[in-house]
Amino acid sequence: MAEFFTNTNLGIFLLIVGQCLLIIVPLLVALAFLLYFDRKVWAAVQMRRGPNVVGVFGLFQSFADFIKYAVKEVVVPAGADKFVFFLAPLMSFVLAVAAWAVIPFNDGWVLANINVAVLYVFAFSSLEVYGVIMGGWASNSKYPFLGSLRSAAQMISYEVSIGLIIIGIIISTGSLNLSNIVYAQQGDYGIFSWYWLPHFPMLFLFLISAMAETNRPPFDLPEAESELVAGYQVEYSSTPFLLFMIGEYVAIVLMCALTTLFFLGGWLSPIPGLPDGIFWMTGKMFLVFFIFAMVKAITPRYRYDQLMRIGWKVFLPLSLFWVVFVAFAAKFDWFWGAFARWSVGG
Amino acid sequence: MIGLEHYLTVAAVLFVIGIFGLFLNRKNVIILLMSIELILLSVNINMVAFSSYLGDMAGQVFTLFILTVAAAEAAIGLAILVVFFRNRGTIDVEDVNVMKG
Amino acid sequence: MIVTLAFYLFALGVLGGGLFTVLSRNPVHSVLFLILSFFSAAGLFVLLGAEFIAMLLMIVYVGAVAVLFLFVVMMLDVDFAELKAGMAQYMPVALAIGIVLLMSLGLAFGDWQAADGAEAARAAVTPEGVENTAALGLVLYEQYFMIFQLAGLILFVAMIGAIVLTLRHREGIKRQNVLEQMWRDPGKAIEMKDVKPGQGL
Repeated sequence: MAEFFTNTNLGIFLLIVGQCLLIIVPLLVALAFLLYFDRKVWAAVQMRRGPNVVGVFGLFQSFADFIKYAVKEVVVPAGADKFVFFLAPLMSFVLAVAAWAVIPFNDGWVLANINVAVLYVFAFSSLEVYGVIMGGWASNSKYPFLGSLRSAAQMISYEVSIGLIIIGIIISTGSLNLSNIVYAQQGDYGIFSWYWLPHFPMLFLFLISAMAETNRPPFDLPEAESELVAGYQVEYSSTPFLLFMIGEYVAIVLMCALTTLFFLGGWLSPIPGLPDGIFWMTGKMFLVFFIFAMVKAITPRYRYDQLMRIGWKVFLPLSLFWVVFVAFAAKFDWFWGAFARWSVGG
Repeated sequence: MIGLEHYLTVAAVLFVIGIFGLFLNRKNVIILLMSIELILLSVNINMVAFSSYLGDMAGQVFTLFILTVAAAEAAIGLAILVVFFRNRGTIDVEDVNVMKG
Repeated sequence: MIVTLAFYLFALGVLGGGLFTVLSRNPVHSVLFLILSFFSAAGLFVLLGAEFIAMLLMIVYVGAVAVLFLFVVMMLDVDFAELKAGMAQYMPVALAIGIVLLMSLGLAFGDWQAADGAEAARAAVTPEGVENTAALGLVLYEQYFMIFQLAGLILFVAMIGAIVLTLRHREGIKRQNVLEQMWRDPGKAIEMKDVKPGQGL
């Protein structure tokens, strides 16, 4: 039986499909509850009760929403470019999910353990901008178009600083493989061996850039309801809208996973001696998502020129300086070798 | 079995499509720029194919440089295009010969 | 088997994307087909074992250059129908040139062979057992370091050029002076007045 899955073409194909499902299905189910959690946090901060009708404590709210979106009528604007109009949400969803192929959840638990995993994730998250641009353009309407232009400029601006921050991590590790980045954070001091300590300021820059990159409040200008109604999503309804929304949340959870892998030691245990495992990984991702939810709840929205200013005039120089600093620190072994951990990457 | 010839054929056909595009869209500068990108891409495919089959990294290094130059070319080309559109209100290549500012 | 299938899929993507980039009536569709072409080319590079170049192609071309094209196409209010009007007129010449070029390239394909010294003439032999990115880095930083720096310089000049060309400093609009805002305090901004009841200012 085992030979069927390793030797025949059909067997290998089925095995890969099975592995993909093993990632996608738990991811989407977890997403349903994270959406609920997000809304609950938001409600708690504003002293409301949040979703509480469907199921026990409203736990099944997301599933009810899902059914509602799925059975509604799909409305297509008369002047819309039909093909691009439907391609946009599909791209947004597919690209967000495709990036998960290289994320390791535990030691060796990764669908595709490729050597350029960091670049792969970065490439796919930079492709997500197309869903937004295409959706806004194909709707053939003013607000969606303005929203998509804003979004495109914003995502590209913050990609630059995310890229530079990641370069710092890569210099420290000497490898582009995500598993190797986690191995490099293994050490005798548990939580203090992780990259958040040597790369401390970059943790915050990365979190903020990730929020801007995924159009998350306080940087949700593309869909700012008070000025642009709902940005590029105005003309979307029913399942296409659902795909946009799921794509957006998958991208957010992906950013949580990346923060965990880059700075918080992935599946490593924070206390030396305790066993490492997937529960640490999910726990840390959940913690980062909680930070995202809290930030959404307590911060007011930025103005667009402020957003651009902070991206280009503050984050870019800071992260660029950090790359130079890390390069020197790694080369000359400053700080007891905290920046140079090439023993893993090679 | 996929050999070197297969990749070279793809590159050659893409190159011809690029040239074809240059002649076909003689007025529209944006499509002209895109055709140039296609031509550069076909050169890149050639470089990487030879690099892979001969076992010579130099091909991939030069792909990197072509990528750089193509990006710079696209940025400058589009910037000129935007300035031209601001001054003339069109992007027709035939209007470029009017030198009066 | 899977590799063969993937090759034909990506080759079809590259060529179909390229062809429709050139032929599309709508320039936005052109850019989207261009993206398909680049994306498939990245797939071909992965098949060839050049992972780093493939990912770079996706980040640089698809993630940045194509977005730039898309921006310009969407922002410029150009009557593209008029620009497309001459297409039928140029078609015969373009087709003739294309076919002639393709045939001359095809002639070369029919009869070619590697020179005897090709193996020995390799500039940077791919090292065994080193992954693609590391091998590329070794060659790039040791043999081609000067050109690498010059490539950076080209990008720098291009950046300055693009900014100088397109930056417009518009007069008569309100601008934010962040430092001035931050150094503002109640002492400078507020004046306390003692207003007697019933008298006004």
